[in-house]
Amino acid sequence: MMRHIAWLYLLAAFVFIYLPVAALVLFSFQAGSLPVPPFNGPSLQWYEEILADDNIVAALGHSIAVALGSSTIAVFLGFLAAYGLARYRLPGSVFMRALLIAPLTVSYLIVGLGLLIVLTRAGFGLSLWTATIGHVVINLPLAFAIVYASIGAQQENAERAARDLGADEFRVIFLVTLPMLAPSVAAAFFLSMTLSWDEFIIAFLLTRFDITLPVEIWSMLRSGLSPSLNAVGSLVFLVSITIVIILEIFNAGRRRR
Amino acid sequence: MTASVTIEGLSHWFEALRALSDIDLQIDAGEYVTLLGPSGCGKTTLLSVLGGFVEPTQGKVLIGGRDMTHVPPARRPTTTMFQDYALFPHMNLRENVAFGLRMAGTAKKQRNERAEAFLALVGLEGSAGKRPHQLSGGQRQRVALARALAVEPGVLLLDEPLGALDLKLRRSMQDELKDIQRKVGTTFIHVTHDQEEAMAIADRIVVMSAGRVEDEGDPLRIYSEPATLFAADFMGEMNHIPGTASDEGIETPFGALPLKSHRSGPVTVCIRPEALATAGAIPIGPSRLRDAAFVGTHYRVHLVPEAMPEAVLVAHLPPGSLPDAGKSLTLYADSGSFRVFAGKE
Repeated sequence: MMRHIAWLYLLAAFVFIYLPVAALVLFSFQAGSLPVPPFNGPSLQWYEEILADDNIVAALGHSIAVALGSSTIAVFLGFLAAYGLARYRLPGSVFMRALLIAPLTVSYLIVGLGLLIVLTRAGFGLSLWTATIGHVVINLPLAFAIVYASIGAQQENAERAARDLGADEFRVIFLVTLPMLAPSVAAAFFLSMTLSWDEFIIAFLLTRFDITLPVEIWSMLRSGLSPSLNAVGSLVFLVSITIVIILEIFNAGRRRR
Repeated sequence: MTASVTIEGLSHWFEALRALSDIDLQIDAGEYVTLLGPSGCGKTTLLSVLGGFVEPTQGKVLIGGRDMTHVPPARRPTTTMFQDYALFPHMNLRENVAFGLRMAGTAKKQRNERAEAFLALVGLEGSAGKRPHQLSGGQRQRVALARALAVEPGVLLLDEPLGALDLKLRRSMQDELKDIQRKVGTTFIHVTHDQEEAMAIADRIVVMSAGRVEDEGDPLRIYSEPATLFAADFMGEMNHIPGTASDEGIETPFGALPLKSHRSGPVTVCIRPEALATAGAIPIGPSRLRDAAFVGTHYRVHLVPEAMPEAVLVAHLPPGSLPDAGKSLTLYADSGSFRVFAGKE
């Protein structure tokens, strides 16, 4: 009896988590014009419509550019910070480490508002660049924490051997340290990608004419529900899930070492 | 390539701790030298100074006649075979061994050929495409050796290279290291705490303790005529007999031993277990046999001297000459086998 209740509970939990997503994806294939039951599909007409919509396609491109750009910058800076703090004894390095990770605890709204005030005061026009800066701010602490956690004595010894064999610091980092940390660096990169890909508040506050996909979805919502929204949402979900799967593959690789 | 090493007046402090004290050492090109001592004696620090990983507080290091005291590891004619091998896990064996040549700007084809030749030298031909994690500990170690030798260093530094291997593999690798050293002719400086390993492998042993050189010389000389009591004890088992030296000889609990000593006052007379026998020139008095263990070539015997009942002597005696446990026998030794050191322990 208890066993059945446990299974039932598990089932209820998964339904609770996945029913909204399943409904969203299902009604993106709706043949009618309203994303509500009864389902009378399947039909790809809404996908056709959104892919023909220049605004949506442009926003999709912007989102990809911002996600790639901000993740690359965040991981690059995070790696350098982690390497520096792991390899050199600096005054106040504990404090610096804390300061680097602290933004994780600040809400996106505060980060976005702060950047909005600073950037507009400093005379920067809002654009995809400012949204990218915002995403670097939220992703850098994560990238730093992930890479820093996996730097250990193993790399340090290999670095020493590389120096002994005549490598300069640049080649030590790019031929030894970075490749040895590749699984963590990749994990940090893909995690940053997913966070940037569907981030709304910062992108909303820091963009103006060119906007990212979540901001575009928000503006579509204002004109009411439509299966085209479901279709866009399903696309966002598909991309997120793909990145998460890639991330898991890299994580599995990291655990095997 | 091969190079000599000269160490002059070397001292090093780690903050308040004096790790190396006034070390002077001359190592000839092509020599196989071991730095031998217990952990914490400064042997690894000395090796790090030679490799350029530690800059000494005082003194000079000359390699091949050139002052290298402040030259970083990358620009020294030395390479190190690290204790944990420190192979590059993301490269195959060929790339690992060719790494130093790549840093030196050797063309790819040439450096790969050289890498494969060095892999063959250490007995790993045909494995060039493997990754380090596919190898056993002994094989990894060979790769580390090939990698360090591939740049043809003047001096190869080996930091406890056999420490992680089991005893049998260790003994066979010793022979191989010696063999490879003869083939390449490079100066090898090898750190170890295992005196058997040092004796088996080295042309010359440098015994260290507490940051100082206690003794240096060929293995036979250090074993049979150690310069200090520490070296005497560290090179193998040693029986200690307290005594007092004077012009006539040395007064011990066994009576006066007719030994020459240029010291007077309290001394420690030392004798190796294998120098004690049941016949010889100098008697050491009757001793009671406590126990005996057969170890293949001889019996390893514990004896309690009647004149010194609180002490235990160790002797290696041939089979067939032993009385039963509890019975007495008289030990003898030849005068040349005693060593006398100043001071009581």
